[in-house]
Amino acid sequence: MKRSVLLTVNGERHEVLIEPNLTLLELLREGLNLKGAKEACGIGACGACTVLMDEKPVNACIVLALEAEGKEIETIEGLVKGNDLHPLQRSFIDHYSFQCGFCTPGTIMTAKAFLHRNPKPSRDEVKNGIAGNICRCTGYENIVDGILNAAKEI
Amino acid sequence: MSEFRYVTKGINRTDGELIVTGRARYTCDMELPGMLVAKILRSPYPHARIKGINTDKAKGLEGVKAVITGADIGYRRFSFIDTPAFPADQTPLAVDKVRFAGEEVAAVAAVNEEIAAKALDLIEVEYEELPPVFDPEEAMKEGAPAVHEIVEPNTTTAWEDFGVPPSKSRPYKAVNNISNKALIQYGDIEKGFEEAEHIREDRFEVPSTSHMAMEPHVAVANYLPTGKLDVWLTHMGYEHKRFWLAKLLDIPISRVRVHKTYVGGAFGGKISIFPFEFIAAYLSKITLRPVKITLPREEVFAGCPPSRRMIVYLKTGVKKDGRITAQQVKVIDDVGAYRRSSPTALYLAHVFRNPIYNIPNLKHEGYGVYTNKLYTTAKRGHGLPQMVFAVEAQLDMICDELGLDKVEMRLKNFRKKGDILPNGDKLRSYGLPECLKEAAEKIGWKEKYGKEKFRGLGIGSASMFSGAHNFPFSSAAMIRLNHDGRMILYTGQTEFGIGVDTVMAQIVAEVLNCPLDYVIVNSGDSEVSPHDVGNWLSGGIFVSGEAVRRAAQDLRDQMLNYAAAGLDIPIEDLDMKDGWIIPGSDESKKLSFSDMSRYGIQMAGGDPLIGKGYVKCVPEVHFWKGKYNKTASLSSGKGRFTEAYGLTMAIAHVEVNPETGEVKILEIVVADDCGTPINVKSVEGQIMSQTVMGIGDVCYEEVRINNGIVMNPNLLDYMVPTANDIPKITSILVDSYEPNGPFGAKEVGESPRAAVISAISNAICNAIGERIYDLPMTSDKIKKALRSKSA
Ligand code: FES
Ligand code: FES
Repeated sequence: MKRSVLLTVNGERHEVLIEPNLTLLELLREGLNLKGAKEACGIGACGACTVLMDEKPVNACIVLALEAEGKEIETIEGLVKGNDLHPLQRSFIDHYSFQCGFCTPGTIMTAKAFLHRNPKPSRDEVKNGIAGNICRCTGYENIVDGILNAAKEI
Repeated sequence: MSEFRYVTKGINRTDGELIVTGRARYTCDMELPGMLVAKILRSPYPHARIKGINTDKAKGLEGVKAVITGADIGYRRFSFIDTPAFPADQTPLAVDKVRFAGEEVAAVAAVNEEIAAKALDLIEVEYEELPPVFDPEEAMKEGAPAVHEIVEPNTTTAWEDFGVPPSKSRPYKAVNNISNKALIQYGDIEKGFEEAEHIREDRFEVPSTSHMAMEPHVAVANYLPTGKLDVWLTHMGYEHKRFWLAKLLDIPISRVRVHKTYVGGAFGGKISIFPFEFIAAYLSKITLRPVKITLPREEVFAGCPPSRRMIVYLKTGVKKDGRITAQQVKVIDDVGAYRRSSPTALYLAHVFRNPIYNIPNLKHEGYGVYTNKLYTTAKRGHGLPQMVFAVEAQLDMICDELGLDKVEMRLKNFRKKGDILPNGDKLRSYGLPECLKEAAEKIGWKEKYGKEKFRGLGIGSASMFSGAHNFPFSSAAMIRLNHDGRMILYTGQTEFGIGVDTVMAQIVAEVLNCPLDYVIVNSGDSEVSPHDVGNWLSGGIFVSGEAVRRAAQDLRDQMLNYAAAGLDIPIEDLDMKDGWIIPGSDESKKLSFSDMSRYGIQMAGGDPLIGKGYVKCVPEVHFWKGKYNKTASLSSGKGRFTEAYGLTMAIAHVEVNPETGEVKILEIVVADDCGTPINVKSVEGQIMSQTVMGIGDVCYEEVRINNGIVMNPNLLDYMVPTANDIPKITSILVDSYEPNGPFGAKEVGESPRAAVISAISNAICNAIGERIYDLPMTSDKIKKALRSKSA
């Protein structure tokens, strides 16, 4: 039986009719056509699907869309304000913090929430903060630099 | 040119905004109107005869549009290579029998994923289990179960493209499961061992590790009623994909279009064609609807090939002073169910290390052996990490036994700049000794070696080609000048993380001395871009980059010619600067690139100004007809291979906890000679990437297979390095300037991984004073080694 869910995504309100077993990631990617969050493992082990739910990072592949009822969801698509990149986005470009880019949307969302909690982190704290976001390309150092530098600007 | 404007600099990605905003489009993001979803039924058994498949119930399910089995698609065979000596041995869906657990048996296309999954459950397959063989050394014995029967050469090949008439094809039978062999020899091996004053013989083993590219394997195919096939793939170069899709689907290659996609990592694991890609295309052809297949991560782990499993028997003879006199190698490549690139890998395991040490007498013997396991493929270095792991380990053991300094011993045995290798390749640039010296200096080898308890230092080496003699052979590029003076570059290079669009734009802007944003890069679209080697022969910069440089030079020459005519000034008096053409004497007469576009169209018969460039990977090797052929042999190692070698030395410093066996990597220094780096940020990124991948290879990664079943097919059970696992890593760039490369560049995308694997594993063994002969070096293995040492 389909159920109706009311949620806000990147500031826009959506009312959707969904199967109860639909994941938040499926709703975002297939239902709402927001392809930024990616699926790489599907079991909550890599962070590629990270989005913010009421400002907290969640692995959207293991969250049911039903759990988003009444919540505010923020995805990578919501980060740009007008023509301006978010400081994290700018800093990721400046620090060569991505290669293939597949992990990037998830990592940037994790980093956003992390810097919100910890605005002046140490290098090790940043590493720990993104330890749930797997990147197979960069070797992480440039991601850490990207986040540390953005922290100065936020 | 001594002063560069873009080349040698660290330039940010020109497409960075697309990536950080989530707007870069990967194949997994593709949706087309009316698209069907396909799923694959896989074998649960490692070895079984298929007695019957009943698809009636699945076909009857509402929403199912097609169900196919091996019987429908016949004996269409494919492989990484397909020659009379090594005919293609794999079919996209199993025919008659399955040879590994995870093999494709049937496929369904339906209107959505749920229905496709339900339909798979309704397919009934009757299997008769056959005795399997898992151990390659068992499989080679007389009387072992045969993984393959006779392979009939009953598919059309395109051997003509390689200068081989199809009439040469013959039935092929693997004897004792030996799929392929190699025997490369030079010098006099017996004499070499007679001259030796110290000899060691050991056996090493390296398991499969996963590429674990973050984007899982996925394909979207759209066969149009006009007979054209559009595909979006997660891949490493379109020539191989369209070659095989055309061949398997019986459509002309020019009717297959591989569209530009962003690719979420590849690392060697997305080369050539995969059954799921063919299945998507075939299902689209018979339903006339777009079809998408996305493999769940479990299927990537259990159904798609990881890196090669190799056993290396190694015997090395040296003089007392450490000079190597002879080396004898026997490599057993446990290929699994299908041969794929094994003939290449056995050859590469030799040629990739040929430029490192000067070994006067050598015998390299290789066997690819079929077993009932997941088949395997290239991964960053293709055979080199396995081989170098063994060679560098044994050199360390020899140094320990003879009391030699491990740095000095290696320096003594390196080849030299200008050396001609036994196959005829020439080392025009060679920074390996500098790499080792600088790395040793940086890490403090002299101060630290042998002076710290439970800490150790280890060295690893690697060399890597810059494009090879095999298909697709060459790269081309075109540059179109536009009315606004901006240029569009067409290149067949694929973006899977190397930043290739940026690097190519740098090359064009450097040649034309113009702002970087004058160059728009259109890459990776097989219908628009010209022929290209792709991104899997480590030829992206050396070959395709040189083609781009030549295309830019061609356009530059054309513009200057017209400018000379238009201004009535001798061409020697013209200069190009900041996007202008400037007559030496009079700045006021300067012309813009836009002016040149107008000149071409108005005054030169409508000439739109298109620059063209092309390069052959190895000009000396050619396939044409009969007597014109000048080929190179994978199985004997004879003939030219590549024009330049990238080189790496790595040194690792580690600490081992003797109680827990845990390894703490303190520091890794990687010194890389990739010639002149075009983009320093990109080069350092490649080094960093491979260093961290190497940490995983040594410390925990292994695709564990038990009785033919992959035991850890997910990211909870298969561990890869996270941000918390990263030690201090320093990269050193040794610019050796390669005269044949664009602006002196060679390749960097594959070699550091092998060097790092050897460096870390040697450092661990140095720390514990005991040798471990296989990977990964888990804490359990380390504890065991320490126990056996104290016992
Ligand atoms: S895809 Fe959600 S955590 Fe990996
Ligand atoms: S950039 Fe490729 S996975 Fe992180």
